[in-house]
Amino acid sequence: MHLFTQVVITGLLSGAVLSLIGIGFTLVLGVARIANFAHGGFVGLGMYAAYWGQREYDISPYVLVPVALVVLIVVGWAVADLFEWRGSRTGEIGELLVGLSLLLLIDGALELKFGTEPKTLVTNALGSVGVAGLRISGSELLAAAMALAVGVLLFAFIRYSRWGRALSAVAQNPEAAGLYGVPVPFARRASVILSIVIAGLTGLIIAPFSIATPDAGATFLISAFAVVILGGVGNTLGALVAGLMIGLVEAIAAGYLPQEWAPLAPLAIILTYLLIRPVKGVA
Amino acid sequence: MTAHWALRKALGPVLLLVAGWVVLDNSDPKTVSILIVALYYAAAATSFNFLLGQLGVFSLCQNLFMAVGGFTAVYLFNNHGVSPWLALPLAIAISGCLALPIALATVRAGAGPILAALITLIIAQAAVPVIISQGWLGGASGMYEKAGSGNDWGALQFVEPASFGKLLLVVNIILIAFMMWWSASRFGYYARATKDAPEASEAVGIPTASLRVWIFVIAAMMATPVGLLYAQYNLLATADLYLGTTPLFQVVIVALVGGAAASWGPIAGGLVIAYLSQFAGQLGGSRPGVTPLAFAVAFFLLAVLMPRGLSGTWAQLRDWWTRGRSAAAAPGSPAEPAGRADENVTREIAVEGARHGSGR
Repeated sequence: MHLFTQVVITGLLSGAVLSLIGIGFTLVLGVARIANFAHGGFVGLGMYAAYWGQREYDISPYVLVPVALVVLIVVGWAVADLFEWRGSRTGEIGELLVGLSLLLLIDGALELKFGTEPKTLVTNALGSVGVAGLRISGSELLAAAMALAVGVLLFAFIRYSRWGRALSAVAQNPEAAGLYGVPVPFARRASVILSIVIAGLTGLIIAPFSIATPDAGATFLISAFAVVILGGVGNTLGALVAGLMIGLVEAIAAGYLPQEWAPLAPLAIILTYLLIRPVKGVA
Repeated sequence: MTAHWALRKALGPVLLLVAGWVVLDNSDPKTVSILIVALYYAAAATSFNFLLGQLGVFSLCQNLFMAVGGFTAVYLFNNHGVSPWLALPLAIAISGCLALPIALATVRAGAGPILAALITLIIAQAAVPVIISQGWLGGASGMYEKAGSGNDWGALQFVEPASFGKLLLVVNIILIAFMMWWSASRFGYYARATKDAPEASEAVGIPTASLRVWIFVIAAMMATPVGLLYAQYNLLATADLYLGTTPLFQVVIVALVGGAAASWGPIAGGLVIAYLSQFAGQLGGSRPGVTPLAFAVAFFLLAVLMPRGLSGTWAQLRDWWTRGRSAAAAPGSPAEPAGRADENVTREIAVEGARHGSGR
């Protein structure tokens, strides 16, 4: 029972990180219909920004949040414009190409600046708590709380606010939404910027308990994909639940299944889910 | 498909084969190794293009089927002394079986390019820890093939790397020929109809769902021999060799840079990317990060400036050239029939209106 509790806690905490990464991705995919391959790259950028801040100026990643917010909005605006410009001429494939090249550009720039060795942050700014024999850092709890807050707030915003419903309309039928007065390009841009802001801030928040490598962006991208597939495209609450589910399944499989079978568990879940209920998400 | 048509279509691949053969025979080892990489990625990208062109499916798991080819050949050769030639049909059959549930999942999910990309990338990446965790597949370090001495056609081991280049060239030609035949066959027409108007296709009796699944399976089978040859060239099969981030995206990059507009697109893309990587490597020297960044910058510029790829841009230029000449020959006459132009304008107006919103 003790082991099970530990497995569940570990799974939920790692699942919360997956949710955070997936929420931004599902938003931009749902509203702007852009599979931003560079999404994971922005998480990696956030992590390296935290590492750089501590190494150069000895400041906590949480202090960097306001500055990062401004930088991410500006970068997000530029990236959104690039997607809009390319997408208007060559459609989805052109956007995929731009996203993929941006991911490689971010990975290459990080490798040039920081080298290929994995980087870790040494900080205990938020302390730690003991639960069921486990030592959980305040940073991990903050990331879990942020995932919960972002998932629920975005869901409520999209479901109940006027602007959120406009985004939802754009996601469902951009032509009709445009005819009803919704500024479609602005909505698409806003979703790209918001997703990049969430991705970058996620990188900052998870940096204290994660290992940063230049190619981390691709790994995060794959996690985001899995969350979106399971949670449903455009469903932020679904992404939250799906991330937690994947984290739990991974932890339970690692805790109870033989070593050679454990990696199969998340894949089996996703594939079975796709074969049984392919169109809508879990939430 | 008349004999004249077949002869005319066969001319390009035959010329490519002869030219490639001569170049491989008369090049220095460094050029041969660059050409091998180019031909490897070109063949892999052809299977990617087949899916993208026929169904509009953006598959990121073609490398998984290449890995099946490589692992099957090395495993059977090392443990049972089976020739890679005999392992090839078995590997193709395994790929077909493996592709079936993936195809079903992709097709059932509705499989636009984005959703298909998501599903197939997850499957390709989830396969990495699965392969690494299996001791009989060599674990994380993979499987090294037992090397013989001298040239051995039976074991597909050669002292001269140019032999692998020639084999990869032949595979490329076979794949191009297959795609040409497919496009002109009734299956090709069915596939294009399914891609462009699925409901209408179903109404006229085309089995759209099973056609989609079969095309996915065929594309998987196309990728398998390519992976097998690459394992023989490296005398190695590892998860990282096929499913690492770089090789995974490299196939897509080659396919997209080459473009899906022509069957020679992947070969052009393979050559550009292989030489670009080589140039980026020289630029970077020993400093870490310069090579991937230089490659990324070049790819970014290609993605932004030539989003239709080399073959698409070529087709566009040719189109402009033809239109220009037609206009010059008959001044005042429209370049396109009025109806089609009107439709284009109407569609563009509708799309532009929707993009900007009626409030603006």
